Amino acid sequence: MNSFPMEWYFTALMMFVGFYCMLASRSIVRQLIGLEIVSKGAMLALLSAGALANNLVFAQALVLTLIVIEVVVVAAGLALLVKNFRVNGTSDIWKLDSLKG
Amino acid sequence: MDKGLLAYLLIPLLSAVLIPFAARARRRLADVIANVTLLAGLANLAWLVLRPSMISGGFADIPGDGLTLLLVGAVYLVGFCVTFFSAWFMEDGTPNRQAYYSLILVSVAAMTGVVSATDFFTLYVFIEVLAVTSFALITTDDSGRGVEGALKYFFLTFPASALIILGISILMLTLGSLSFDNLRIFMASGVPSSGPVTFGAALMLLGFLIKSGVAPFHTWTPDAYQGAYAPVSAHLAGIVTKISGVYALIRMAALLHFFDGRALALSDLLMFLGMLSIAVGAVAALRQKDFKRMLAFSSVSQVGYIVLAAGLGTPLAIMGAIFHLFNHATFKTVLFLNSASLEKSAGTTDMEKLGGMEHAMPWTSWTSVVALLSTAGVPPLSGFWSKLLIILALWQAGLKTYAVLALLFSIVTLAYFMVMQRKVFFGKKSRAAEASAEVSAPLLAPAVLMSALIVALGLLFPYFYTYVRMVAERILI
Amino acid sequence: MMNDYRTLLYALAVFFSLWAVMSRKLLISAIMLALVSVSVSLIFFDFGAPWAGVFELSVCAGLITVLFVGAVSLIRAEEEKHPESRARFYALPLAAAIFAIAGWFYLPQFFAEIAGWARPGTGSGTIGLALWDMRRPDLLGQVLMLAAGVFVIKSVFPRRSEK
Repeated sequence: MNSFPMEWYFTALMMFVGFYCMLASRSIVRQLIGLEIVSKGAMLALLSAGALANNLVFAQALVLTLIVIEVVVVAAGLALLVKNFRVNGTSDIWKLDSLKG
Repeated sequence: MDKGLLAYLLIPLLSAVLIPFAARARRRLADVIANVTLLAGLANLAWLVLRPSMISGGFADIPGDGLTLLLVGAVYLVGFCVTFFSAWFMEDGTPNRQAYYSLILVSVAAMTGVVSATDFFTLYVFIEVLAVTSFALITTDDSGRGVEGALKYFFLTFPASALIILGISILMLTLGSLSFDNLRIFMASGVPSSGPVTFGAALMLLGFLIKSGVAPFHTWTPDAYQGAYAPVSAHLAGIVTKISGVYALIRMAALLHFFDGRALALSDLLMFLGMLSIAVGAVAALRQKDFKRMLAFSSVSQVGYIVLAAGLGTPLAIMGAIFHLFNHATFKTVLFLNSASLEKSAGTTDMEKLGGMEHAMPWTSWTSVVALLSTAGVPPLSGFWSKLLIILALWQAGLKTYAVLALLFSIVTLAYFMVMQRKVFFGKKSRAAEASAEVSAPLLAPAVLMSALIVALGLLFPYFYTYVRMVAERILI
Repeated sequence: MMNDYRTLLYALAVFFSLWAVMSRKLLISAIMLALVSVSVSLIFFDFGAPWAGVFELSVCAGLITVLFVGAVSLIRAEEEKHPESRARFYALPLAAAIFAIAGWFYLPQFFAEIAGWARPGTGSGTIGLALWDMRRPDLLGQVLMLAAGVFVIKSVFPRRSEK
């Protein structure tokens, strides 16, 4: 019996918490935090799948790329957040409802 | 990665890096560099594909699988139209002019990367680059609505990315590699229990469906398109969201061998969501009051046709899907660029306030009408042929209900466009029409070029059909 | 079953992510997020993936936390003036517990089944070779991503003099 099922069980739990946060929160910062947790879960899933398939080096190479992507995505998200705060004066996502139809 | 097309990725990237340095003193140089880069790429591609020897040989000498080259062509075409339009559209005082052109060039490079990827993870990486550039492009004009659209886009595409990564990890686990060829060989080998691979593929398909804005996940599309900086909405609707989602769906449909009945559940799901999105998009478009928002819903509906055809996955359907993808790029670019012209000249895109624009802006009106008719599938414009292929493929596969529904909703498309034409372009001259004048020739040029292309593709359909058939044969080995 | 050390790290990661979501103060949330990153990077080390661990520790736990704290301090005053309803967050431990217990009966079995599908790979080579030989297009993608990041920042925050 290997440890893979338990690893993915915890990963699933973590992703659940992240998605819950993204659904429940109205604040953009909190949604970003939820997104971060979800993507951490995805990275863990990828690496433990690589470890199981004896493909760890390959998985590690992918995770390195994922980390680079994550930094830029978070930076872009925070830049959007600050811009939104400057332009719309709020960080509450449900207050954004000028687009309707 | 397709090595032959690497130059189409690297040169825009180099230009993008060059722009902030070269155009520091002279702002207009940024426009020139971006336009020249894209035009040169376009000329190169045209020479590659449209040589007489190539055409008479039935495009047999096209390198790679043909799909990549066609889509790189579409990317460059839309990118060029958008940069050319922006060069005259953008006000001189815009603070981030260089960054805007750099971002467009980076997004062109990323799209080239997406279509030339031969591996799921590479595909994913380039799609993320594309997404990141899109947010900044949407918010170019610092309007509150732009930021709002960008945020909604942001918080729907990145959870989708997590799903794609989960799918990739299951695929890596069960296939040992992520290349397209491996999946193709696996699906063709007829291993009895393809369950795990299908499960991984299902997660990835779900992610790509969200990214392409198909019906239950379409909520971000209208907001992002309507809120975006005007020329950017053409870029976004014409090509970006199609490459970042729909292209991957077509590619996966071909790789998963939908046509010989493998992964049947996925095929059914894709077709159902495609049909749903045709219906939802068309019905929602009927009720819209804003020109851009209506176009956005129409885009949801047209993407539905492509997804429906991709889900069917027969060679004829794949041909229809690819052809419709290309057509969509042409007509949506015209429509969104014209909506930008309307916005500039009449100051609004609210359909209640517009009316009789035909008298004030004849060129804008008539190019729009050509594009609208092509969208609705009126012969002999190019949109007619792609819809015909899709509906024929459905009928041939025995899916008569879907075929009839697809035909029916294409009539609904015609209906809402008729309503819109009456409200915006024809009819009584409104106050907005009296106050506005036709935009300058350079702003019209991209729309006229694309409209000419729509008519030409419709009339020269046999040649294009040969090309698309070659593509379908190559990707469905 | 997995060794106790790794179980502990996974449990810590879940615990810190719960805390990050639940915390009333955004600053605490950002710090908890950094702790999640630290746990994840320790898990990476435990797997025998030191490069991923080092990157996770320096980039995610370091750089991203700095970015978060910076952004939070910009908007914190406004955010705390209009606190959002906490009810949904207090329900989170309950929801997570229900998910955990319900999932306990199905998920490990399902994942064990997935594990049974695994096709062992070669697993040889070093990380540098793997990146350079097999994942060269990804490196190009990374370069493009970094360029995109720079232009996004330039576009969102134009220089003051140009305004």
